[in-house]
Amino acid sequence: MAVKQKKSTTAAKLLTVLIIDDNMDRAQTFEAALKDTPYLVKHLAHTSVSLLKEVEKTEPDIILIDIESPNRDTIESLSTISAFNPKPVVMFSEQDQPDLMRESIKAGVSAYVSGDTNPERAKFILDVAVARFNEHQGLRNELSDAKRQLESRKWVDQAKALLIEKQNMTEQQAYSAIRKMAMDNGQKMEDVAKNLISMMQLMGGAK
Amino acid sequence: MTIQQDLALEQTDLDIGIVALTDCAPLVMAKHLGFFEQWGLQVNLHIQHSWATVRDRLHTGLLDAAQMLAPMPLASTLGLNGAKCDVINAFNLSMNGNGITLSTALFEQIKQLNNGQEPVLPLDSSWIKQIVQNKRDNGQAKLRFAAVYPYSCHLFQLRDWLSIAEIDVDNDIEIIIIPPTEMTAALENDEIDGFCVGTPWNTKAVRAGIGATVITSCDIWQEAPEKVLAVTSQWQQQHPNTFIALLAAVQQTCEWLNSTANRFEAAAVLQTYLGEPLDVIAPSLIGSCLTTQNGTPRNIPAYNRFISKDANLPKLSQGRVLLDKMATAHQLPHDFTQAQKQQLLKDVYRPDLYKSMLDMKKKMTQLGDIQYS
Repeated sequence: MAVKQKKSTTAAKLLTVLIIDDNMDRAQTFEAALKDTPYLVKHLAHTSVSLLKEVEKTEPDIILIDIESPNRDTIESLSTISAFNPKPVVMFSEQDQPDLMRESIKAGVSAYVSGDTNPERAKFILDVAVARFNEHQGLRNELSDAKRQLESRKWVDQAKALLIEKQNMTEQQAYSAIRKMAMDNGQKMEDVAKNLISMMQLMGGAK
Repeated sequence: MTIQQDLALEQTDLDIGIVALTDCAPLVMAKHLGFFEQWGLQVNLHIQHSWATVRDRLHTGLLDAAQMLAPMPLASTLGLNGAKCDVINAFNLSMNGNGITLSTALFEQIKQLNNGQEPVLPLDSSWIKQIVQNKRDNGQAKLRFAAVYPYSCHLFQLRDWLSIAEIDVDNDIEIIIIPPTEMTAALENDEIDGFCVGTPWNTKAVRAGIGATVITSCDIWQEAPEKVLAVTSQWQQQHPNTFIALLAAVQQTCEWLNSTANRFEAAAVLQTYLGEPLDVIAPSLIGSCLTTQNGTPRNIPAYNRFISKDANLPKLSQGRVLLDKMATAHQLPHDFTQAQKQQLLKDVYRPDLYKSMLDMKKKMTQLGDIQYS
């Protein structure tokens, strides 16, 4: 529950919402519904201005985009390919399409607004989107941290094995040697391990 | 007996997703020429504006089949960037078709480095390497390129071309994703310095005088499958006969597209689907790659290939190449084993279904039910 507490404090700050939609009426209705909430709306018709420039300039906290917009691929790639920080994405759709909604949520969309959504629910939907996104990001970070640790341990283990074999060290000695080198040079143990491995392979090959 | 009864079609009305690119021609022309109907199928083509919606609609069954980028069925089956869904490829719709276009400004810089002369095309990427270094030395922003989708040959071809000159594609430059239809606008607005995209969008940039097409995908990779006809594995299992009929109709169209005269007809029909004029669509279809607005076009006979010997047959080896490219682009899990790779290729690539289609066609022709050129 501590997590939930943290989220409500972030929501108290002003959050910029970038709406990318050619349907002016729909965008304006949504904008009006978000008046006097912590959400500050900027609207773009997708064909008029450059999306990425706008994302760079506005640094939105949330992106709201028409499901039919060609810019979907760009938005989706923001989290996978470039240096942009991932953002919660909410999708507009004319009709209520539950299956499609389920599918895009798996692809990273945080919430969905369909044609018959009551504009009064706009704030609620954005709150949910931010919460869901933060939760998802948290899981992703945990997973990649775990993966990185595993990866790093793999290198250190390999370097240790080589030291034990070639330098007749005990496991403890090998570990201490790697750690000492890392501390002396201000490097990560993983990097020291990689250097050691390539150096020992080089020397092994030269014999 | 009607063809529906002969083939025992499980479903006759099909919704197929396409993207506005020259290589949607086999699907567009199959409809236009009545080839789908000959095989008992009523097809509605739905233009999709992003690869993400193509993926989501195919996964959820809102589309029965779709034109997809060759790496997409692999990405779907692995569950990269979205939900995991088994998608199969039993038919290569097209080969090649992509090109790299540089902004006029970047092309001018290369000319300056070359003493004011136009560089030789296809362009050696070491010219780009020089500019990358100059920019770094002068503390200027990195060059920014665009590809159409993370799981696309366009991204891999761009990376391969730049890597030949030992450009570190992960650090020396930036690559962003922009959908094909928005590419030329991004180049015109100076958001990017170059892009890799499918026809007709390179041709459009050259015609509009905003860029120079310096190399095509067939200069970088030889004969690479570009778009595939994708269905979910589940849909194929539920509609085996319909699927075979669909493949037969599309293959017939690919054969039809082999003739230059027919390609003019295809270019004319594509105008409505792509929203572009004939002089933008036709060149690549007849093997011509426009280079600069007033420059001499390059003759690239294989620019858009829909059929050559076995071109439509999906091969596991083609998938293996794509998996290697995906790994280089950091798209595959680190712990992905050879055995998993092999299983994935066997699940996604279905030459067996392609061969069933050929057998069925032979039988039908003998029965005299179907006449095709």
